[in-house]
Amino acid sequence: MGSLAARSVAFLLLLLALPFALGEYWAFQLGLFYLYAIAALGVALCWGQAGFLSLGQALFVGLAAYLSGHALIDWGESIWVVALLPLAALASGALAFLLGLTIFRGRSESGPYFAIITLAISLLAFQVANSWNEVTGGYNGMKGIPGLPGLEGFSDVYYVAAVALAGAVALCGWLIQSPLGTLWRAISLNERRVASFGYDTALLKAVAFGVSGVLAGVAGALYAPQQGLVTPELVGFALSADLVIWVAVGGRRRVLGPVLGAVLIGILSAELRERTYYWELIVAAIFVFVVLYAPGGLAALLAPLERLLPARPRTRPSLPAPPARLAPATVSLDIDGVSATAGDVRILDQLSLAILRPAIYCLIGPNGAGKTSTFNMLTGELRAQAGRVRLNDAILHKRAPYRLARRGVGRKFQIPSVFGELTIAENLHIAVWSGRSSLFDWLRPALSRWDTPVLAALRQRYPFLLESSRIAAELSHGERQLLELAMALITEPRLLLLDEPCAGLSAEETAQVMDVIRWARNELGMTVVIIEHDMAVVKELADHVFVLHQGRLLAEGDVATIRTDPRVHEVYVGATE
Amino acid sequence: MDPLLVTQTLNVLYEVVTLAVIVLGLAIVFGFLGVMNLAHGEFIALGAYIAYVCQSHGLPYLTAVPAAIAACTLLAWPVERFLIRPLYARPFDTLLATWGLSLFMRKGIEIVFGGGYKSLNIPLPGSVAVLGAHFPTYRVLLMLLSTALITALLIWYRRSYAGARVKAMVGNRELAQAVGIRTDRLARNTFIVGICFAGLAGVMIAPLTSVQPYMGLDYVLRSFFVLVVGGPGSPLGLLSGAAAIGGVESAVSALIDRTAGYSTVLLIAIFFLWRRPYGIFGRA
Amino acid sequence: MSVAAFEFADVTGGYGSSVVVRGVSGMVGPGEALCVLGRNGVGKSTLLRLLHGFLPLVAGAVRCGGRDLAGLGSADRTALGVSFAPQERCVFDDLTVRENLTLMQTGRPLAQLEAYFARFPRLAERLGQHAGTLSGGERKLLSLVRVLAEERPVALMDEPAEGVQPENVRHMAALITQRKAAGAAFVIVEQNLELVEAIADRYLVLDQGRPVQAGDRSTLRRAELVAHLRV
Repeated sequence: MGSLAARSVAFLLLLLALPFALGEYWAFQLGLFYLYAIAALGVALCWGQAGFLSLGQALFVGLAAYLSGHALIDWGESIWVVALLPLAALASGALAFLLGLTIFRGRSESGPYFAIITLAISLLAFQVANSWNEVTGGYNGMKGIPGLPGLEGFSDVYYVAAVALAGAVALCGWLIQSPLGTLWRAISLNERRVASFGYDTALLKAVAFGVSGVLAGVAGALYAPQQGLVTPELVGFALSADLVIWVAVGGRRRVLGPVLGAVLIGILSAELRERTYYWELIVAAIFVFVVLYAPGGLAALLAPLERLLPARPRTRPSLPAPPARLAPATVSLDIDGVSATAGDVRILDQLSLAILRPAIYCLIGPNGAGKTSTFNMLTGELRAQAGRVRLNDAILHKRAPYRLARRGVGRKFQIPSVFGELTIAENLHIAVWSGRSSLFDWLRPALSRWDTPVLAALRQRYPFLLESSRIAAELSHGERQLLELAMALITEPRLLLLDEPCAGLSAEETAQVMDVIRWARNELGMTVVIIEHDMAVVKELADHVFVLHQGRLLAEGDVATIRTDPRVHEVYVGATE
Repeated sequence: MDPLLVTQTLNVLYEVVTLAVIVLGLAIVFGFLGVMNLAHGEFIALGAYIAYVCQSHGLPYLTAVPAAIAACTLLAWPVERFLIRPLYARPFDTLLATWGLSLFMRKGIEIVFGGGYKSLNIPLPGSVAVLGAHFPTYRVLLMLLSTALITALLIWYRRSYAGARVKAMVGNRELAQAVGIRTDRLARNTFIVGICFAGLAGVMIAPLTSVQPYMGLDYVLRSFFVLVVGGPGSPLGLLSGAAAIGGVESAVSALIDRTAGYSTVLLIAIFFLWRRPYGIFGRA
Repeated sequence: MSVAAFEFADVTGGYGSSVVVRGVSGMVGPGEALCVLGRNGVGKSTLLRLLHGFLPLVAGAVRCGGRDLAGLGSADRTALGVSFAPQERCVFDDLTVRENLTLMQTGRPLAQLEAYFARFPRLAERLGQHAGTLSGGERKLLSLVRVLAEERPVALMDEPAEGVQPENVRHMAALITQRKAAGAAFVIVEQNLELVEAIADRYLVLDQGRPVQAGDRSTLRRAELVAHLRV
């Protein structure tokens, strides 16, 4: 944190010193692009961190500009009007948050469709701004907006913009380093996985969008007094497009990227646009190049510079995490006559099975029997058309996956899905924070020091988990399976669903995994349900076996009973013997 | 029959059918290959400008057709190879890359032709009598041509081996490879065909619109909205989307004004994008 | 001493970084059939996908008619003479039965498939229907006819008899035997012991991605196979 403050102050001082070097004319020009840079920071926060892109961000800039313009025209005499400008920015932020929440709740993934929705919304806003003459001044815009009271000359305006930009950069830097930033990056890598830890991903993305709306609003609110004129172009596609290009070329991952993009490319465009058409051609070509080959943008070139100001890796003492919201308890699971179809295919056919005591259960059956589908149904990814599921006597309704995860159902997916681009520590944090923290906690850096007894025990068993800054994608397949298993265990679920935990593991790694599973049952009292094809594992671990076939329960019992059951034999070997 | 009614109906039909032809190229590229080609409008513009060039050199209008097809093929080949193919697994980046391409093409057109409007002479001037009303000849020709083109494409898609192979590739790429279809090549050719249709649409509509470097933006957005509402990947989706968007826009524009018409289209598109992006006839 | 129609040595590979199949070898001569057996999840389908180029080899080699197939994709291997029938999604749902069969045989009319339709009249009845509306077993029949009609020297098939009724399994065995007599070679993953006993000249049993038993017809003992397949 200390180094963030130091870097922010250094940046601010740099900005404040620039006019002395460049003169008043340039200071005024720069001031405008500082405002654009603030809006660009918002775009980069959503795109580079949380993984979704708004192609209509100018909507929020323009909205705040119109509001601020109105306020200044009506009440510009009194100094108190300055208090209204932040409100204009917050209005944009609120709109962005609400829009984001609505859209993200209604759709399961962002991606290109979100981008086009924001584009369509901003086009609609342009139509409104262009024709609503009474409020927005229509095509000609809102004219004669006075400057901010108390400011004179170009330099003062510049300083306001510079301070605002430095503040925005500090804010974004802080958010990126916070637990919220880690969660955003995890969402951009694998949203489904984050939801399976009980996080409301739609809310988290909406928060990012809301923050970006506030940033765009700050830019708009300061734009009105600076330029004196607000036209519908400010809401239009051209500015939104420019913001995206500046962020892409400047670099969307690093805080200074959008600033570089907006200021450098923006200023160059403004100057060179008149002189040569070729400039815009070049920018377009650079943009395409960046999308294809250099997603880090210009800021990535500055990476070596970052080594000059390294953040000192202080090892702070760990804090005990608050207890999990759900106290561990014995679990009872009752699946009663559940049927589910996908298209014409019957995936689950009146499946009924019950789990009454903590133990290790194995779910086996031939391909297409419905094993993974049963897990999907328990975690809310498959909607059942009939039947009922009771978890500890409470019925599981058609709920979003993240809500079901909060009921104490933990899951490890078939394909190892740790967050590859995050460090081991960040992966483990995401597991530790789930079920123990909420939105405002995620702004506190102290969360990175949380430790739980389960985490400590796992670190002792698997020392590789202590290599905090190692990137998860560099782990071997076996280590990744173990990390994912550890993450599932850390959440201390009541019911742990493991989908092929030993897939692709060597004999030694398989033994380690079996060891941990036994430990979970014995020491933590967890109920574990495992889907496994490796019969050696099943024989070793299973207290009880469920055999599924064609979406229903064919047989159940201990391993010996199953082996001698003729129906099971028939399914695996064939009718004739 | 009341001539005014006939004219109104013909107008709406004209809007819908020409919209369908404009969307056709993107329907192929987005519907079959899943490529969100934001440069679609620029290829239409390219076709329009080529028609302008042919006409201003005194050549018969029809020469614009092979010229546009040649230009589009020449351009589509490297675009598919360097922009589209590397990004098949990253639809979002495809959106951005093709958007960058559209910026590039737009600026290129502006550099070569200047920023102003070009107007073309209508190849078949005059009007013809239809059911008691007078309607411009060229528009009637366009409607007939567009209908013929779409019908031909539909028949080809349903009956030909090539159409079946495209269907196979789209539905089950692995099995398509297993039976020996070179899916890389087929995808590339499909893309080129889609781009050529865009150019062809440009040639067709050039005399009736204002040809300027920014004309493409409007077309690509409308095309996306048509496919989102109708459902990509099926001819029925294309037609129903064109009917819905084209019909609603011309109706509302006639009743209120153009802004209201466009705004209504935007609202419909936003709703479908949010709730039902696979459209009326697409599959979830 | 004829060249093996199809052989693979020490094949190792899987999905992404996970290795599913380890060191599997086998071969089949013209007119022979190799059956690959094992429980679910042991890597049989993965093996077949490695053999046909859908997945890259981590180690080992695959040869067809003496020619190394390294670096060739699936469509290329088909062109070289290796047909493939996957286990799931084995037909084109959106195409009709007729189109499924004639997709690549532009010159060959359906008349040549009379022999197949004689055994599977249900397919002939459904020529105009979309393949997606067929039952699971019928889709498997369609897939088999498609592969056999391709008349390529080698065919890799993944559980062709899954979900197929016993009488049709007998027809399948007869058709495969006919193709073998014409010189075709087969590598078939199958759990249906009826079919295996009818057509296998060689067999290979996998467990946990490794070969645990192999042999030829003379050593084929049902009881042993059952022991490997059961829980």
